[in-house]
Amino acid sequence: MADKKVKELKQKNTYREDEAYEDNFDLRHLLLAGAYIKKYLKYMVFAMIFSAIAGITSLASPTITRKVLDEAVPNKDMKQLTILVIILVAIYVLTVIFATIRSKTMVNVSQNIIYDIRKDLFAHLQKLPFQYYDDRPHGKILIRVVNYVNSVSDMLSNGLINVVLEIMNLIFIVVFMFITDVQLALVVLCGVPVLMVFMFWIKNKQRQAWRAVSNKNSNLNAYLQENIVGARITQIFAREDENAGIFAKLSADCKKTWMTAVSYSSMVWPGIDTISVLVRASIFICGLIVFGAGNKSLGTIIAISSYAARFWQPIMNLGNIFNGFINNMAYLERIFETMSEPVTVDDCEGATEMPPIKGEVVFENVNFSYEPGKEILHNVSFRVKPGESIALVGPTGAGKSTIVNLVSRFYNVDSGRVLIDGKDISKVTLKSLRSQMGIMLQDSFIFSGTIEDNIRYGKLDATLDEIRAASKTVCADSFIENMQDGYATEVKERGSLLSQGQKQLISFARTLLSDPAILVLDEATSSIDVQTEKALQQGLNAMLEGRTSFIIAHRLSTIRNCDKIMYISDGGITECGTHEELMAKKGDYYHLYTAQMEDIA
Amino acid sequence: MSKENNSFPMTKLQWLWSNMKGCRGLFVTAILGTVVYNIMQLTVPYFSSQIVDMFLTGDEARANLANHRDLFFKLIIMMVSFTVARVIIVYLDCMAYEYTSQKTLYRVRNFLYDKIQRQDMKFYSTYRTGDLMTRVTGDLDAVRHMVAWVSRMIVESLSLYLATAVYLFIMNWKLALSVMIFSPFIFIIIIKFRTEVAPRHKALREKLAGMNTYAQENISGNRVVKAFAREDYEIEKFDHANQDFRDTNKVTQRTWIKYYPYIESCANLLAVVLLFVGGIFLINDQLTMGEYVAFSGLIWAIANPMRQLGGIMNEFQRFSASSAKVMEIYFSEPEIVDSPDAVSHPGPFEGKIEFKNVSFMYSDGKLPVLRDVSFTANPGETVAIMGETGCGKTSLIHLIPRFYEPTEGEVLVDGVNVKNYKLHELRKNIGLATQDVLLYSDTIEGNIAYGVTHLTPERVVKFARYASANDFVQKMPEGYDTIVGERGVGLSGGQKQRISLARALAIEPSILILDDTTSAVDMETEKEIQHSLRELDFKCTKIIIAQRISTTKFADKILVLQDGRITESGTHEELIAKGGYYAELVKLQMGGEN
Repeated sequence: MADKKVKELKQKNTYREDEAYEDNFDLRHLLLAGAYIKKYLKYMVFAMIFSAIAGITSLASPTITRKVLDEAVPNKDMKQLTILVIILVAIYVLTVIFATIRSKTMVNVSQNIIYDIRKDLFAHLQKLPFQYYDDRPHGKILIRVVNYVNSVSDMLSNGLINVVLEIMNLIFIVVFMFITDVQLALVVLCGVPVLMVFMFWIKNKQRQAWRAVSNKNSNLNAYLQENIVGARITQIFAREDENAGIFAKLSADCKKTWMTAVSYSSMVWPGIDTISVLVRASIFICGLIVFGAGNKSLGTIIAISSYAARFWQPIMNLGNIFNGFINNMAYLERIFETMSEPVTVDDCEGATEMPPIKGEVVFENVNFSYEPGKEILHNVSFRVKPGESIALVGPTGAGKSTIVNLVSRFYNVDSGRVLIDGKDISKVTLKSLRSQMGIMLQDSFIFSGTIEDNIRYGKLDATLDEIRAASKTVCADSFIENMQDGYATEVKERGSLLSQGQKQLISFARTLLSDPAILVLDEATSSIDVQTEKALQQGLNAMLEGRTSFIIAHRLSTIRNCDKIMYISDGGITECGTHEELMAKKGDYYHLYTAQMEDIA
Repeated sequence: MSKENNSFPMTKLQWLWSNMKGCRGLFVTAILGTVVYNIMQLTVPYFSSQIVDMFLTGDEARANLANHRDLFFKLIIMMVSFTVARVIIVYLDCMAYEYTSQKTLYRVRNFLYDKIQRQDMKFYSTYRTGDLMTRVTGDLDAVRHMVAWVSRMIVESLSLYLATAVYLFIMNWKLALSVMIFSPFIFIIIIKFRTEVAPRHKALREKLAGMNTYAQENISGNRVVKAFAREDYEIEKFDHANQDFRDTNKVTQRTWIKYYPYIESCANLLAVVLLFVGGIFLINDQLTMGEYVAFSGLIWAIANPMRQLGGIMNEFQRFSASSAKVMEIYFSEPEIVDSPDAVSHPGPFEGKIEFKNVSFMYSDGKLPVLRDVSFTANPGETVAIMGETGCGKTSLIHLIPRFYEPTEGEVLVDGVNVKNYKLHELRKNIGLATQDVLLYSDTIEGNIAYGVTHLTPERVVKFARYASANDFVQKMPEGYDTIVGERGVGLSGGQKQRISLARALAIEPSILILDDTTSAVDMETEKEIQHSLRELDFKCTKIIIAQRISTTKFADKILVLQDGRITESGTHEELIAKGGYYAELVKLQMGGEN
């Protein structure tokens, strides 16, 4: 466990660092890729058969030419010539039809494969815990879903078919060569080991090089994304020049790695061409001189040398496919690496549905740390009765948010148990648990879309009336009505048209709409002015009736009325009780409260 | 959102050419190289056929082999070295294209990035992150592909076709003419194909951008998705984008497949015509057998370019759709720029801020956000702004660094209208800690030192102390070297705010603007922060937006903003005495009524 966490830590990443590649993973990733191909195997076989037929049909055309030259022309037979030409046309028409059928089939196959991969990748990303998103720039995740998946489609569909076809082609030719002349066939095959050595050398170089390309692109993407999102920060700090410099550096890295990669990739074709001409020269030399003049019939040498030429064509094609393969392998690895990223917070085996929550929450000796060796919560135990409202107070970073995050099982506890209505929450399905909880996070994220849609996120089938009602409760209705198109106003990405306080109100409405059994408000009103908050409180109180709630707030006036106040510091609950009890105790809470009142007075 | 292509100051190819500056010579050389190796390609069979004719099939082959062995080897060596030479040219040529394309890509990419980061706020509310990312990555790749591959294929096809055509015409113009008479048909087909495929490519890149935008938002909002257990809903929504992209992709490729049989048949027609007409010519003795063999040996060099043309057009349309998107950003101009008569003011500002009858309305807004706002903050003073959610506080402070421009009235810094400063110099003097804290995935030190190029670790600690961030940072296992995730997600809200405050302080600004920067900080810590803000060792004017009385209490002046107007203004004591909104707030926060 600890080791894994250390590893996770190492993956913490910025745009400056390359992501690590695990070595020699090809096979496993290929197997994973295989699963996607399997689904369309019958279409691929179908396409392959059509390709093969097209290939074989086209083999007939030289025969026709020979017949024209050998028979029709010497006999000056116009009729035969016409017939043969018609046959040739027929052959071509058939070839084109078969090739078209193949292409049509393969378009579907290749597009469906990318679709499937992307779908699964996205679905898997939804399951990955906060930690995954916290540890790396989002641009690095994004590039995998969009750009990388696009790159691998051709390789997994047409690439694969062509490999099979070319290999079949190759086998045919080799067989024919051996039938014609074993000795000369062996001479031709002498080129193969040379080719192997060459390909092996270049493969290693290429692999490294393309991995570097993918890393540098990923870094660039990470930087780009953060800076588009953070443009305002850049501008206020007048950092444009420096950022442009950093971007240029990342951009130069991309250029450099790309040039290195293509300097190897571009070698494949010329390399094969060179080897092939050497082989052709060897055939002439061996055929005419080494094996002795006259030992080989002229026909044999011509036949072998024409086979040799045809022998290299599929190899060249394979070389090209191989090139693309190596290139895309770097992307494929990244995709499947993401897909095999462990889902640390997931439904356990035999997880049951959480029945409708009454609201009893119990922490039993809970220990928790985000990073090994740095315990945030130490042996925390408490019990909350159904319907109680609990306030969590204490210094920032003491673990208040952590406690509420554990109630929703955003993280797994290191040891101990969290129980809701007596059920260990790690034994119920996440969906059934979280869908009954209303969690308002510190960062009130607003999606682009209308305000109405944003609020509806809490309850997908909510009517506009319900949405209005929720907005009224949180005092958001009036400002929403005042906007350009009221509830139909488009808020831009991240709600850039709204003030922070307005965003909080909207996300508050969204949470209320979900009608949660347990409500978690994590600094939910920090940016809302005191008067609005006051008005909001009235609606809220009605709504809190009968629901267990956890409230984190720094403004103590907000939480005075809670049933229980827990003071969190140093990894645990140091004080717990009602406002009056804690005031009487004259401990940390008392000091905090009086200090606050003094400040205002 | 997308402009018509003709609104650009130059055509796409002109634009591309202008960005190839610095490697145009290389590019032209590469083109010549392509012509050379294609012509060389045509001569390859020459050596083999010489060898075959002299030493294998000819009447005196045996004798030749015995007597002219040196010639035999010479031909072999020629064959090998000619191929090797050609292969080297191909390789170098290929690299030249790659280099040109990378250099162009590098240039455009950097230019685009710079363009994007200097845009005003209006731009950012128009373009979504995912869309911009698509332009800088996917769309630019289509531009790169145009230089690296499409242009090479065009030259290759043309040179191969022309060289062969000339050769064949010289050999037998009648046969050459009859074979090639069908070539023009291909152009008709290609032009039809072009009209049909162009809109498909446009649609395709829109779908790609749509998917990118959607995935981008989902990744950024992953916490909310989880909080509402909306994974299935998100998956379903993404599925639409994914399906859309797939289907558009299929339609685009099917358009190609629709035309493929015609193009392929056109190319095949050449071989058919050759056989038929060639056969007739042979029968009529208008053609020698050798000529026929030469024709049939070279027919591919005429047919293949015709086949290629379809693919080239397809790729060209992709380039065309993408480059339009790239150029839209390339030629976009922000509205807020240095005015032509902006005066340079390199030194630090005094820090006097004046609002004179300022009114402001967002360009897409319905109601004015600020109405007739006037106030003055003298150097070194602290001005606190209070008011209800959405009353225009943030809009007001955004006018100081000129993120937006007032619709009426003027904003002055040190007596000069902010419009007359250079943006860069104006903003250098302003430290702003925004409401919505955005940190970068970098170390804490890197985040604090964001605005200052070289900040010693000691000074980083100093500013962290001012912001009361030092204690918690020190407690982290890696201290200031701890990498915080994007938007500082590993940190609590209060911690993020304190780092953002330290970042704003680190530039030692003449004007410090805090937009509710301590809202998520606990009271105790906030008190510390307020204290250090009063004790800063550099002089600065502070504009502080806050909800808490404890924050505003010590301000030299408190402004109460209601519905975009300043309704109250004065010190803490004055305003309490006045008994208005502020006095209400104080009462409320004391919790007196509860």
